[in-house]
Amino acid sequence: MTIRRWSVVAPAALLVAVSCRAPVPAIAPAPTAAESQAAADSAAAASLRRDSLGAAARRDSLAAAQADSLRLAAQTEARAESVQFQVGRPTTDTATGAVATGLSAAETALLGDRIHFAFDRSALSAEDQAKLDRKAQLLAAHPGLRIRIAGNCDARGSEEYNLALGERRAAAALRYLVAHGVAASRVDILSYGKERPIDRGHGEAAWAANRRDDFAAAGGGR
Amino acid sequence: MRRAALLTAALALAVPLALLAQDSTGAPPSGVRVGITYTPGTRASLAVLPVVSSVLDSARTILARDLDESDQFDLLQPPATVALRSGSPNYAALSALGTDLAVAIVPDSAVPSTVAVELHDVPRGVLRSRTRVALPRGTGTEAFREAVHRVADEIVQWATGSRGIAATTLLFVSGGHLWRVDPDGAGLLPVPSAGLPALSPAWSSDGRTIAYTAYVRSGQPIVLQDLATGHREALAGTEYGLNITPAFSRDGRYLAFAHGDENGTDLYRYDLARHCCLTRLTTGTYYDNLSPAWSPDGQRIAFISTRAGSPQLYVMSADGTGQEVLASFDFGRTGQTNAPEWSPDGQAVTFHREVAGTPQVFVEDVASKTLRQITGEGRNEDPTWAPDSRHLAFVSSRGGISRLWVVDLVTGRMRALAATVGGRLPAWSPRRTFFSEAP
Repeated sequence: MTIRRWSVVAPAALLVAVSCRAPVPAIAPAPTAAESQAAADSAAAASLRRDSLGAAARRDSLAAAQADSLRLAAQTEARAESVQFQVGRPTTDTATGAVATGLSAAETALLGDRIHFAFDRSALSAEDQAKLDRKAQLLAAHPGLRIRIAGNCDARGSEEYNLALGERRAAAALRYLVAHGVAASRVDILSYGKERPIDRGHGEAAWAANRRDDFAAAGGGR
Repeated sequence: MRRAALLTAALALAVPLALLAQDSTGAPPSGVRVGITYTPGTRASLAVLPVVSSVLDSARTILARDLDESDQFDLLQPPATVALRSGSPNYAALSALGTDLAVAIVPDSAVPSTVAVELHDVPRGVLRSRTRVALPRGTGTEAFREAVHRVADEIVQWATGSRGIAATTLLFVSGGHLWRVDPDGAGLLPVPSAGLPALSPAWSSDGRTIAYTAYVRSGQPIVLQDLATGHREALAGTEYGLNITPAFSRDGRYLAFAHGDENGTDLYRYDLARHCCLTRLTTGTYYDNLSPAWSPDGQRIAFISTRAGSPQLYVMSADGTGQEVLASFDFGRTGQTNAPEWSPDGQAVTFHREVAGTPQVFVEDVASKTLRQITGEGRNEDPTWAPDSRHLAFVSSRGGISRLWVVDLVTGRMRALAATVGGRLPAWSPRRTFFSEAP
């Protein structure tokens, strides 16, 4: 079985690993010139408006500045939404946007069935394990299928710590699948921390919904 | 009876005084000093003299705000009658207003767009310092404001012996993109970056390179970006897995970061000077080590670890040896502790720690290990030091809108950067940056 993750390839060597290769990986392009220019223009305009105010007026202009910045934030959000998320983007069928997996609708639903976690925990419940058993069977029935597991957290914890916690949650599912016969090379994991909530509300119901692993086909099928 | 009444009165007085410079409404953990002790009346009073042209008035407005926000002076609002056209200021009139220091912006009749900026000692009636500065055209431009910020920083140096922080930049994340803003809240601009989202920007100490986590198709590499050329490259060895929380050593030789995979998250150190040599600094199975923060002498790294359960603050030598607790905690009781950053003067580490389930900004004196809780209203997180080791910027939800705030640790003064709504993960630049070198 092939494992692409470099740390798995040689964990011991990493104690004093040497990696003198030139950096190569592809990096997503920057926002287009038009996008950057539009954002720069609006920011510059907002900046000019603020600077044109007198000193006394400036202190009173908080509301106007807030309106400006809220609009900027909204524009930024809109742009973020409009740009296709570039992470681990699966091979897509350009016509439908769906991954060409050959899975039935029921199988796709089974694959996508989320698992959930307790607060600040990455342990799998019995219910989660049962869901993962079914996914392992699905993967056994479709030997070409590759999947991606994305770990997610609720909004309460620290931004950066949640990235590590989300990774642990995705890794917990990966380890379970590997222990149940799935080749590690067929599973990619990543963490979004609290970047991608599915419920933006507050309170335990929203938090519980967001503490999850998402599963998606990353290619293959049949 | 009378004594009891007096005692009650004294207590009634004492309690509000103790809370004077305190932000907190929630109860602090025991053993932690809350808030900031500040004795008013010890700062010099300073007046920026009125000027006679609109261009100079724009400069004066920016300058006065910078000096005010240095938190080193009590700013006075002098009347127009003390405007300086030439010669010396009206020391007698300024002295009558209680002015210790007066700043004058004097047009240079020989060279248009050039001004002299003077600092006057009013009680002694003498000119203390003087500099000439060329003001770029266009009062609303970055270059104009930058030039004035630098003058403000020089005036702070003249008056206090250490340079101000107006000519610096804050990087932060909003909507998954990187943005920059000046510490006075103006100059909000996007910084084109790789990946969506881009997270956790960090500065090199020469202000020319930034590092951040970029979510790209192949994974989450650490991206190094040259601000002058725009050149970007992924750090070798971060092509796969989760690579987060980069931090440059001050000498620029190393980049420390956390790499996460199915075995947990651990800290690594890459040798930027030799373009090679990834050294693993922590080993943990199924727990996390992240958020490295270099001491400015490069000898130690503070970091977060979940080895005892919840994330807490530890410190180790820069080679990974000698790992120990840096901020003491009670197992199972102390809230999660995250996002450390070592002060540029080396004396303190700031971080956020949950108090009653809500993150609050703390500062720990490294030598004495004394903790100070700085905030208490709303969520307050991800603090970053200004280069003066006196101001912090952080993300606060106070007032119901999350944005960046700045606190002065000496006076306790807090102010919002109004335009940064939705901003998070701020990183305060060193004094010199590529941005401040731009024409």
